[in-house]
This record gives sequence, C-alpha cells and structure tokens, in this order.
Amino acid sequence: MIIKKDRMGALLGTLAQHKTVFVPALIDGVSKFAPYREGLDVRFDLHNTKLPPKDLLFPQTQKMYRYGETAEGGHYVEQFDESSERVLFGVRPCDMRSINLLDDVFLTKGFVDEFYEAQRKKLLTVCITCAAPAETCFCESMGLSPNEAPDADILLKSCEDCYKVTAQTQKGEAALADWRDFLEDTQAQVLPGKTSLRLNFEGVPQKLSRMYEDPIWDEISTKCLNCGTCTFVCPTCYCFDISQENKMKEGVRFRCWDSCMFSEYTAMAGWHNPRPTKKERVRNRFMHKLCFFEERYGKTLCVGCGRCVECCPVALDITRLIDDIGASDA
Amino acid sequence: MSDIQEAMRSRAKELLESGEVNAVIGWEAGRFENQTTPLITSQAAKTQRLVFNEYCVNNLGKYPRDLTAKGKVAIFARGCESRAIIRLLSDEVIKRENVYIIGIGCPGMRDRTTGELLKKCAECRHGDPVIYDEMLGEPQAKPATQERFAEIQKIEALPRAEREAYFTNAFSKCIRCYACRNVCPCCTCRQCFVDQRREGWLGKQNNIAENRFYGLTRVMHVGDRCIECGECERVCPMDLPLMSLNRKVIYDINNLFGEYETALSLDEPPSALTTYKVDDVEEFM
Ligand code: SF4
Ligand code: SF4
Ligand code: SF4
Repeated sequence: MIIKKDRMGALLGTLAQHKTVFVPALIDGVSKFAPYREGLDVRFDLHNTKLPPKDLLFPQTQKMYRYGETAEGGHYVEQFDESSERVLFGVRPCDMRSINLLDDVFLTKGFVDEFYEAQRKKLLTVCITCAAPAETCFCESMGLSPNEAPDADILLKSCEDCYKVTAQTQKGEAALADWRDFLEDTQAQVLPGKTSLRLNFEGVPQKLSRMYEDPIWDEISTKCLNCGTCTFVCPTCYCFDISQENKMKEGVRFRCWDSCMFSEYTAMAGWHNPRPTKKERVRNRFMHKLCFFEERYGKTLCVGCGRCVECCPVALDITRLIDDIGASDA
Repeated sequence: MSDIQEAMRSRAKELLESGEVNAVIGWEAGRFENQTTPLITSQAAKTQRLVFNEYCVNNLGKYPRDLTAKGKVAIFARGCESRAIIRLLSDEVIKRENVYIIGIGCPGMRDRTTGELLKKCAECRHGDPVIYDEMLGEPQAKPATQERFAEIQKIEALPRAEREAYFTNAFSKCIRCYACRNVCPCCTCRQCFVDQRREGWLGKQNNIAENRFYGLTRVMHVGDRCIECGECERVCPMDLPLMSLNRKVIYDINNLFGEYETALSLDEPPSALTTYKVDDVEEFM
C-alpha cells in the first residue's frame, strides 16, 4: 500500500475531522508538533522538529488536581483529565523511540503515572522514515535505524513521491480504515536513509560507570551555561517538579518540566545542594542519558536526535563526549 | 585571520607557561564545518587548539565571572567581550587585576549554516575592543549596517492591538530555558528572582502571563546595563525578539536622559537608571 505525497493534505483533513492530528509544522520560525488545521505550514521535509513531541504526552505544564473548601465546611479534591484522542502524525524514528523510553519511565517498575497513561492510551502514532538524515543525526550510532520504528502504530516508508504504508500494531491496522480512500495498491521503491555522523558507542556506558570522579567533568562543564535548553529540547528528558498555587480557599496542583541543569533542581531544605556546581549537573545529565538509565532499564536514554547538539548555545556536544569516552581507556 | 590565530596560540601558550595567568578563554573548532565552541584551558599544550575565524559566534565575556575566583585569566576580546568585561568590572563582579585582556578587531561573525552576517553583528556598533592590555592585529572599524532603533520605531508605529499581539506571540513561544539570562554578562545576581521559589515572584507554569512577567522583569533588570551584544537573542532557541525589548528600554533612556550607551570605558558616568537627579523627568508625578 502507498499514499502519494500530494494526497497527504487531504488525508490529514479527513483524519482531523474526528481527532486532533499533530503534525510537524513551522510556526513563527519554530518547528514543533501542532494540531493540523487548514493553512498550517505543515513540514514533513524537516528531519526533526526543534521541539520534540513529548509535550503531547507530558506537557510542560500539566494541571493534576484542584482542591478547596466547600460551602458546608468540608473539602473537595478533583483530578484533572485533559487527555483526548490524538494522532501523532509524521514523528521520526528517534522520537518514536523516545516515546518507548518515556513509556518505561511512566508505566513500568511498579508505578503507573495516570496522567501519562490516560493520554498514551489515546495516542495513535504514525512514523515517517528518514531518507535524508541531518548532519547532526546520529540515531544509528545509538542502536536505532532511520528506516525503522518498531513501536509506531503505522509506519510510512519514504519513497520518491509517495510513502509505503504499513500497519505495525492492531491499533494501526484499525486506524487504516479511515485512510482507505487515499491508499493505492502499488509498489514503490523505498529510499533508505543513512546518518553521516557515526560514533562508537560500544562500551561507553560501562566506561562511564567507572568515571564518576574523572577530571573530564571539570573540563567539559566549564563552558556550560547551565541553561535548560538541552533538557527542554530533548525528547527523552522527563524530570518534572510539582507545585501548587493557592487562592483564598482553593488551589491547583500542577507539574512542570524541570531541568537537572538548573541550580534549584536539587536544592533541599536548609539550602543544602548536593549538586552545588555546574560540574555535578553536567555530569548528571550525561551520566543519566548514557549510563544510569542503561543500568535501570537496559536502554540508552539518548536516541541520537541531535537536538541538543544543534541548540546548545555554547556547542557543548554530546557526540564529542561519546567519542572522547569511547577513545579513553577508562 | 590566520595570522591572528597563530598569534593567539603563541601568546596563550606564553601566558600559561610563564604562570602569568591561570586559564585562557578563547574558541576552538567544533565537530561540524564552520562551527566553533568556547575553549577554556589551563594547559599550555591545549592552546594549539585555539581558532579564530568568522564563526566565533560566542561572546566569551561572561566566563571571567566564574573563573577569576581561581586566579587570573587571559581572555581574547573583541568589542562585545571587552564591553562585557567592563560590565563585570563596573558591577564589581570581577577585579581588573584578575583579567588580562587580549584585544582583537572584529570583522563581524557569520551563521554557520547560511554564511550570512549574524544579526547581532550587523547591529554591532563597536566591533573593536574598547579596553585591552595588548592588541593582536589591527582594529577593523566595522560599521554597523543596521540602524540602532529602526526596529523599535517600526514596532512603536504599530497600532496598539498589533503591538500587543507582537509580544503576546513572542512570549507564547518562550520555553523558559533561561539561556538568555545565563549567557548575559549583566545577569550576575547571586540569586536570580526566578530562582527565589519561596518568595514566589515567578510561578513555574509555562503560560503567556508568567513568560511575559519573566521576559519583562529580565529586560528591566538588565535595563541600562545592557551592552547590546545580542547574545540573548542569538542563543534563544525559540527565536524571541529579545533585542527589541532591550533596545526599547535604551531608546526610552535616550529620549528621557539624553544619548546613552553603556560599557564603553571604565570611567563613564554612573548608569542612567540608578542615578537620581533633581531635574530628572518625572512625567507621572
Ligand atoms: S549543555 Fe548547553 S544547552 Fe545544556 S545547560 Fe549547558 S549551555 Fe545550556
Ligand atoms: S541527549 Fe541530545 S541527541 Fe540525545 S536524545 Fe536528547 S536531545 Fe537528542
Ligand atoms: S541583555 Fe542581551 S544584549 Fe544585553 S548584555 Fe545581556 S545578553 Fe547582551
């Protein structure tokens, strides 16, 4: 089955009648996943959106519940459920993998995050393979492939002027019913993608586990600004912080993305901070991505999307770190 | 530029080897074509990695703040770095005897993907260092190709509703990564109001109201101390027009107190907004 590229607009229009369909789009100079509507600057040609799709499942600000006093002097607590039927359309293999990793965090190891779960169940994923990865893409070095996305419900393999359509899950199979008018039963030549940036990740997590006290952290952290750019643009960074806002006799509890790069991330009562300087914060970010997560979940928390490489104001580059660690004899 | 690069390497090496400075702040090549990244090193051998080319986009001027606690540093300084250093000195964040300033004239820097002159460099009015201990190569006397307040006048001419939409739009994109604050040579408060969670000046939610409150408070804090280096706008991953905000404040200072431009020398008069004069304009009183 294939769908012609010039039929995509019509397909999106049809799908958007029943569900909110998030597509990669350019809005005010920033690319991100946005709800499809007529006139939106949809960009399936971008390798990667600047902002990852994690916001769909794990919003930057998420209301959790509200509480307050009732007129009778009792109290109430009401949970928010802002989940809805959504399609994530045109996600790339690296971002698809990031959702698999977020699933591990929010749904496994004996704790289920209800907010995440509610939205995850209502999400259909349609992944497009990458025929022409960007210069900063290194998914292949992280054990992924630009040509596959095993977790996606529907996979669109990039061809010259069409996509080859495959349902990979039952959910995807069922969803294809709505696509019928746009599909053609023809063969097409798939364009395989290849990343030009190659790293040697072999053995890096094991080496890192012995490098907690290594001088390398002093060296690479000196230029870091401790902004939150790298963590906010990362599709797999999942730290959050819960706060509340109270007004008179009612209040709302919500959670927001947090960043291990911020000084107050680890601030404790009495102003103790176990990660007092940039060195500890930078070490934590890289260790978490490339070593700790591996130890806990058996997977690497970096999917090689290249966003942090592209966006870091001082070009502190995770790919250089990986190569340096790989080459070291730690 | 290659002569300058050679001179940079040998001067940095000498300064470290003689023990005159404890660290050197410059640039080195990044992984990708036309990409550079700050190089901060105390090892003489590493000075051979220093580069100087048209893609040295980072203003290095904030680094002395973190580094001078450990001893004297040498820094390569173009106009923007030199003004950042004056900023840090005037704000008493660093001491003059702790920085050794090696001046370099700047022809303007380019975007690594498009090859175009950076917006901040097109707007820059002082490409050559305004303070230095020694100079490598000649001053470049690069002219600013953008009129300083052209953008402000354009925005001010918009009808009120459009002006509001312009800023609402901008702040709706902000992700509050605080890159603009952390890169800025003026943002040197020991504790930023943003991080004062107990006082709760700023809520953690990402929404237009909180984002705008952050953005406007930042610009008022930076206010008359902004050296117009344009780093905040360059590093913003969401492309917010931060220089329009900064220049609006400077534009108003100009109109209220006369022509104003800060951090051009060490003995300039006190900053406009922190000085009180009996004949100051007081329209609202
Ligand atoms: S690594 Fe780069 S993006 Fe991340 S906190 Fe440091 S300066 Fe900011
Ligand atoms: S660490 Fe960087 S390259 Fe890896 S997944 Fe996160 S943003 Fe992408
Ligand atoms: S506010 Fe922006 S332009 Fe002004 S000094 Fe700070 S970083 Fe430079």
